[in-house]
Amino acid sequence: MVECDFPECTTFGAVIRFALELEKGAAGVYEELSREPKAAAAAEMFRSLAVAHKKRGELVEFTRQQKLNEMILEPIQDLKREAYLIDTKTPKGVDVKAAARFAGKIEETSARFYLDAAKIAKNLMAEAARIMDKLGKESLANKTKLDSL
Amino acid sequence: MALLSEVKKDYGKLKNYVNGEWIDSNSDKVIDIENPSTGETIGKLPMSTVDETKAAIEAAHEAWWAWRETPPITRGRIFFRLKELMEQHFENVARIMVQEQGKTIDEARGETRRTIENVEVAAGIPSLMMGYNLEDGAAEGIDEDAVISPLGVFGAICPFNFPAMIPYWFWPYAVATGNTYIIKPSSQVPLTQNYLTKLVEEAGFPPGVLNIVNGSHEVSDTLMEHPKVKGISFVGSTPVAKYIYKHSAENGKRVQAQGGAKNSLVVMPDAVLDRTVSNMLASFYGCAGERCLAGSNLVAVGDVADSLMKKFVEASKKIKMGYGLDESVNMGPVVSAKAKKKVLEYIDSAEADGAKILLDGRKAKVPGYEKGHFVGPTVIDRVTPDMKVAKEEIFGPVVTYLRMKNMDEVLDFIHSSPFGNAASIYTQSGKWAREFRYRCQVGNIGINIGIVAAMAYFPFAGYKNSFFGDLHGQGQDAIKFFTDRKVVITRWF
Repeated sequence: MVECDFPECTTFGAVIRFALELEKGAAGVYEELSREPKAAAAAEMFRSLAVAHKKRGELVEFTRQQKLNEMILEPIQDLKREAYLIDTKTPKGVDVKAAARFAGKIEETSARFYLDAAKIAKNLMAEAARIMDKLGKESLANKTKLDSL
Repeated sequence: MALLSEVKKDYGKLKNYVNGEWIDSNSDKVIDIENPSTGETIGKLPMSTVDETKAAIEAAHEAWWAWRETPPITRGRIFFRLKELMEQHFENVARIMVQEQGKTIDEARGETRRTIENVEVAAGIPSLMMGYNLEDGAAEGIDEDAVISPLGVFGAICPFNFPAMIPYWFWPYAVATGNTYIIKPSSQVPLTQNYLTKLVEEAGFPPGVLNIVNGSHEVSDTLMEHPKVKGISFVGSTPVAKYIYKHSAENGKRVQAQGGAKNSLVVMPDAVLDRTVSNMLASFYGCAGERCLAGSNLVAVGDVADSLMKKFVEASKKIKMGYGLDESVNMGPVVSAKAKKKVLEYIDSAEADGAKILLDGRKAKVPGYEKGHFVGPTVIDRVTPDMKVAKEEIFGPVVTYLRMKNMDEVLDFIHSSPFGNAASIYTQSGKWAREFRYRCQVGNIGINIGIVAAMAYFPFAGYKNSFFGDLHGQGQDAIKFFTDRKVVITRWF
């Protein structure tokens, strides 16, 4: 399993940091998958998903800087990081199906994280919740695309 | 959890920023700047002299007329540049604040956001400082205009709890309206303002328009007494606010002096408890209770008292303390050993007065930060209105819990306080909420909000001993404070 230096999600900043690490991890996985010879048929799609996850990272960074409202900066208690850790050790020599399965798990976990965070964030950071909801739905759509490979 | 990196370990000896130059102070009095989480010295601050302060005032006065003649749209554009620079340096500003003040990184980011918001509002100065006129306003063929004009040099004397934001409640409005300015940052937390002023310099404000003079009461007194200073803005404790108000007014200045607070958060029997408790945690423990809008008295009305208390104490126990550069931390230390001692004395006094300490933060320790000035979340039950802890500003993460029968008793209690900064009610009843906002005599009312922090485009100040002056900080009040109205009556033959 990954082990980025994920913080416990007890604050707005920690949730955002977790999201940033997820995006960085996902982008890295897609970049590596795009270079897999046996998965070359899906290389273009993996490259575009790597770019998309980098852009998502920028959006998360923007959220941290622009959407934080100190008036409602309340502790967060119901988001356990263990439930959302992703595996970023990209397997070697995988074909398209195996690569898509591996990436699909990342998207599934990301979707779950963002949609859960959006629910919690709705009360604590309403503007950020909208962005998290969008990212969660995007991950679900990515998963569907990967499943179709 | 790994810490976010510090911007620098040691910021060295700070300089003053006068007339567009960074100048060493000649003073032989230099104090340490301490990181309150680690106890380490992270910089040195000179206590600038009277003559150095006078030189800054002269520089600001010299710069004034050319700046006043600079069109408002041009002045506004420099603020747009400053805003962009602040966005680029956002994270550094926040992290320096954590280092010198002790607040958590989220709190520091929130403060940085609010600092920028004041710059954003000031950038719209052409619309904000328009005057008004009336054709034939004086008589047929005689028009009357009211022109809004700047006055000259203004100054701010700033506190330790919001190193970035509080100077920005004032100076952007003063400078945008065509005045020049001198900031005396808090001697405990000068680093953030020092960093921000480098951005001000880079943004292209002409020399002398904004000046920073580091130091203590010699600087403050000189600002208050100098004939070329037109007005003073201050935020701090009530005794000092009273002094600043009196002394500045005696010297013919405009003054806005914001003082202390003792804010009550009132929970009605119909409040949504989970949401209420979560929001109150931010109010009582945010910035370790060192904010003039922090909750201090928790007032439970009617039969909600026991269930609320249970939930509140349980939630308080989960507050994680530590160095604010750890993003999972909910609360940092108080600002100094002296501040900690004062908070502990208040808790001791409550115990001596017969109150019950349900959660005791006096012996709180954070492993690895034994030299930090940490006070844990503290909840004191069975507090009565006559106890010292119910009446005085504690400025720490201490909750004094009072039980009352009804709204009348609550309002009598709030109105018995010499302070009048803020009060909040938690309820689902529009009737109670309306009654509270109508009858409660404080400057800031929260309805299901525990930190009633006015946004940059609204005015901020309290009532009674929480504020001395008439025009508040921020918003349209700030424009009025830093300008005068000139009437022009015109007839053409």
